[in-house]
Amino acid sequence: MLRHLTTTILGQRLRSAVGGDVLRRMYHERVVDHYNNPRNVGSFDKNDPNVGTGLVGAPACGDVMKLQIRVDEESGKIVDACFKTFGCGSAIASSSVATEWVKGKPMEEVLSIKNTEIAKHLSLPPVKLHCSMLAEDAIKAAVKDYEAKRSKSNGSQDAEPLGKAADA
Amino acid sequence: MWKKKLYSSSQISAILSRSVASTNFSSSISISHCCNSSIFNSSSLFPSSSSSFFGRAQGKPFHSGRGLFFPTSISNLTRDNASFLRYENLFCSLSKSDEKYHCWNCGANADNSTPFLFCEACRSVQPVNESTDYFQIFGLGREYKVKVEELEKKYKDWQKKLHPDLVHSKSQREREYAAEQSARVIDAYRTLTDPLSRAIYLVKLEGVLVDEEERITDPELLAEVMELREAVDEAEGTRALNEIQVQLQEKLRYWSNSFEDAYLNKNYEDALASIRRMTYYKRTNEEIVKKL
Repeated sequence: MLRHLTTTILGQRLRSAVGGDVLRRMYHERVVDHYNNPRNVGSFDKNDPNVGTGLVGAPACGDVMKLQIRVDEESGKIVDACFKTFGCGSAIASSSVATEWVKGKPMEEVLSIKNTEIAKHLSLPPVKLHCSMLAEDAIKAAVKDYEAKRSKSNGSQDAEPLGKAADA
Repeated sequence: MWKKKLYSSSQISAILSRSVASTNFSSSISISHCCNSSIFNSSSLFPSSSSSFFGRAQGKPFHSGRGLFFPTSISNLTRDNASFLRYENLFCSLSKSDEKYHCWNCGANADNSTPFLFCEACRSVQPVNESTDYFQIFGLGREYKVKVEELEKKYKDWQKKLHPDLVHSKSQREREYAAEQSARVIDAYRTLTDPLSRAIYLVKLEGVLVDEEERITDPELLAEVMELREAVDEAEGTRALNEIQVQLQEKLRYWSNSFEDAYLNKNYEDALASIRRMTYYKRTNEEIVKKL
């Protein structure tokens, strides 16, 4: 009887966790596709001045997500992106989709990518919505990192003439 | 999912006697919401602030440590104000010395020194009392450090009395009690044996909940975890994996101690930080175990 009790409880939890065609499939096709055919998995050189690295995590599930962008200095467009995610299938798929969507776009535009779009594209169930939030955070973090790097290198260039002006 | 239903209870005694025969329990009640939480928008119905109600799934009257309670709903509230029941402070003023539990079967008084899961006088399983926390079930105080061997012994002792297999010949009611009570003891045992779940439960008892959807950007922690996960991913052979495991055990030990210190000093921010770290290390360890 105890077994029956626990299986019904578990069964209910499964059903409420996954939307759509529940009992046969737990992950949407697109999620499975990203998992089986990973695109843009990899790493860029963190110290490359044209690379922005976004590192975010969800401690409650033990997920960690790294998303990197390579930006063309002149046009301000993202020419390449890669990711590395340790976590559930939804987290991996979300970051994979994020890298696909940022490629070829200007930096300002990718900041408007919303987690709801990613979640819709992957048909994520409510319990996995935070994975798409994580991907959105990763994009923003990568852009922020790139801008910080750029302003730092620009800052050091500006500091010299300021210093000279002060001396003079 | 859980609807709050109201019973306009004019025939109290009739309902009381009926409800004793068939009660049903839901484990979704939250004891921490004291009598001060008012879930009704019409305050005139409850002139004294000492009344409070809890919603129950089935809408049946249920038994709790203090007496019988009737599920309520807002929609029916206005219909029958006059005969509405008013209850004394329910859980607010609960203290161990005040509680007088009686066996539902033989009426014997409970011994307040141990949690009342089982009546020794008539050997019958008692209904689940949500106010008994997991530590109390195992006769422990709310401390982080526990002796796991002692936990196992106590767990087996309880199951010798509560297991559903022992109540096949008993009433339907007692069989239900046995199912829920032993499930709770199993939950308690699992929660307390694992250091991380124990830590999370300890702070939960203090009202501090771990946010399931929290996202962090702490570069140092994340870089470290990333490195560890990559190392596990790339490790070839049992020896390499075992080396990483040793590192992880060391870190878990360190942050376990850190959690305990933070908890004892009521520094719940640090306690949560320790819990985060332990979660990451535990996940990494699970990945190693999968690979081994």
